[in-house]
Amino acid sequence: MLKVKNLKAGIEDSQILKGINLEVNAGEVHAIMGPNGSGKSTLASVITGKEEYEVVEGNIDFEGDDLLELSPEERAQKGVFLSFQYPVEIPGISVSNFIKTSISEQRKATGMKPMTTKDLLKMMRDKMELLNIKNGYLSRNMNQGFSGGEKKRNEIFQMAMLEPKLSILDETDSGLDIDALRIVANGVNKLKNKNNATIVITHYQRLLDYIVPDFVHVLHNGRIIKSGGKELALELEEKGYDWITKESDKKWA
Amino acid sequence: MGLIENLKSYSEEIQISDDKKDLLDSFLSNGFPTTKDEEWKYTSLKKVIANEYNIENKGQVVDDSVIEKYSLGFENQIIFSDGKLINTPTIKGVSISGFSEFESNTNDSILDLNKSLSQNGFTISVDKNTVVESPIEILFISTTETNFSQYRNLISIAENAEVKFVERIQNLNNSSSFVNNFTRINCDKNTKIEYNKIQNNTSESQLIDTVNVYQEQDSTCDINTLLFGGSFTRNNLNFEQNGFNCESNMNGVSVLDNNQLADNHTFVDHKSAHCRSNEMYKGIYLDNSKGVFNGKIMVRPDAQKIDAFQSNNNLLLSENSSIDSKPQLEIYADDVKCSHGCTIGQLDADALFYMRSRGIGVEEAKAVLTYAFASEAIENISVDQVKLLSKKLLAQKLNVELDFSV
Repeated sequence: MLKVKNLKAGIEDSQILKGINLEVNAGEVHAIMGPNGSGKSTLASVITGKEEYEVVEGNIDFEGDDLLELSPEERAQKGVFLSFQYPVEIPGISVSNFIKTSISEQRKATGMKPMTTKDLLKMMRDKMELLNIKNGYLSRNMNQGFSGGEKKRNEIFQMAMLEPKLSILDETDSGLDIDALRIVANGVNKLKNKNNATIVITHYQRLLDYIVPDFVHVLHNGRIIKSGGKELALELEEKGYDWITKESDKKWA
Repeated sequence: MGLIENLKSYSEEIQISDDKKDLLDSFLSNGFPTTKDEEWKYTSLKKVIANEYNIENKGQVVDDSVIEKYSLGFENQIIFSDGKLINTPTIKGVSISGFSEFESNTNDSILDLNKSLSQNGFTISVDKNTVVESPIEILFISTTETNFSQYRNLISIAENAEVKFVERIQNLNNSSSFVNNFTRINCDKNTKIEYNKIQNNTSESQLIDTVNVYQEQDSTCDINTLLFGGSFTRNNLNFEQNGFNCESNMNGVSVLDNNQLADNHTFVDHKSAHCRSNEMYKGIYLDNSKGVFNGKIMVRPDAQKIDAFQSNNNLLLSENSSIDSKPQLEIYADDVKCSHGCTIGQLDADALFYMRSRGIGVEEAKAVLTYAFASEAIENISVDQVKLLSKKLLAQKLNVELDFSV
């Protein structure tokens, strides 16, 4: 589904990603872990098309499309979704209006018929139930005055509504208490199927107790320095990052 | 030649009372205000008055299809065609007639000109305890080419009455028309009034619109100004609160493009204690458009316990658009709560990316954010049809096909 090859990217003069290789197939869950500043969020931003980042080398293939040639909205329309680390507050537009616009624009772009209001509302209710979201939420302004947990839940709600092929969850666990974490993880697990894939970006192993990855990658200083199965996450939790980052620093010194 | 010369020759032909003649002569000798006048510092009338105008209405009476096109379809319609009152509704407890003479009580040369020349307008009296359920729609339609017209309107609302209005001024040709519209609203005790102005005239139309509101105890008056069209618009909104517990609310949305200029001047005179005023003006400026906002709040020495709130937020969506914003507070009482805020900015880049990452195209995302910006003021309007039309006109102006109505 996603093939990232030798991706080098940065912002202004500083290079952040120094040659990322990553392949994600349908039905898989990948975790990208790493210390602060390793480039995790940059990778998410480059895949989704944030304009401040400049790609200097490499490519990103998504189901045969060169993602780097596409605008952020085209990437989303192809099925790429980012759950933001810091979801943006948009006063003056309700959650339901936002999601309605998003769905109708995506359907328009992919040549699908618009969804009827009835179907849309039914889908919203079903997905709200899945994520334990209370009534009244839909008419609130997008993320305005939301707690950290509510914002993250709103991201997963959008993911549930948009049904992307590839979901990138950027630090979705930060700011969540354990109950909210369980609800969010449960939602993600229920949305998982053999046709979609998930990349979970996290600093801590905690989230991976609930969203069990097929692969774990350690990102450090702009490179994936180690990949493994889910047991790698547990090892990192126990030993910290130092034991592998030191090794890698020696290699690239 | 220009408007002043047109007016001079017109003044030699017409038969008007000596008082009016004096007013007109004094106006003609002083001329229109210039940018040297503090109240007109950022808004120049020079181009507007350089044009030639017909002072008299010479047009044709319009037919129903035209009315249908510009009306919001309310059952109560007051319709003017080239100054002539062609339709008045019958409403229980409300008397509606044509033009009447009354004072403006304001020292304003534009209103002096209006008084001296006006022969058209409406007079509405709402009886005590009358609640008018459906809004009264007022349409001023003009077909005369390059017409300079004056309307002078009086609304008197007796104790405990409630009424809503929707007003629209529409020119039917593409000549440069100029309207000087004045409305005086007298709000008696415990009345409730909402007046909605839809300003979406043709791209050559020019307007000076003045509303003077006089409020008595326990009255609430909302004036909503929705400005989309017209090449030149100056709105003067003056409130005078003369009794306890008055509330004055103003909501404004201006969406300008091309070379449009719009100036919203508001003045709230808090003369009595325990009153409130809320003012929210949102400006959106595209292309080479120019906006002016001047909001003055005066709190007189005995007007204690006043709660006055004013905000003016502006979005400059082009490098060449501009806004001059001037909040003015004059407070002579010591126990009042007054706040004002003015912002000028662009769309938030993070919010834009957030929306695009959800599959919303860049123009649509900008439009949604712009709508979100304006919606706070639009949502304060109680007449649904006005709200819907505003949203539709906003989408049109931003050149997107989006339905903001949910």
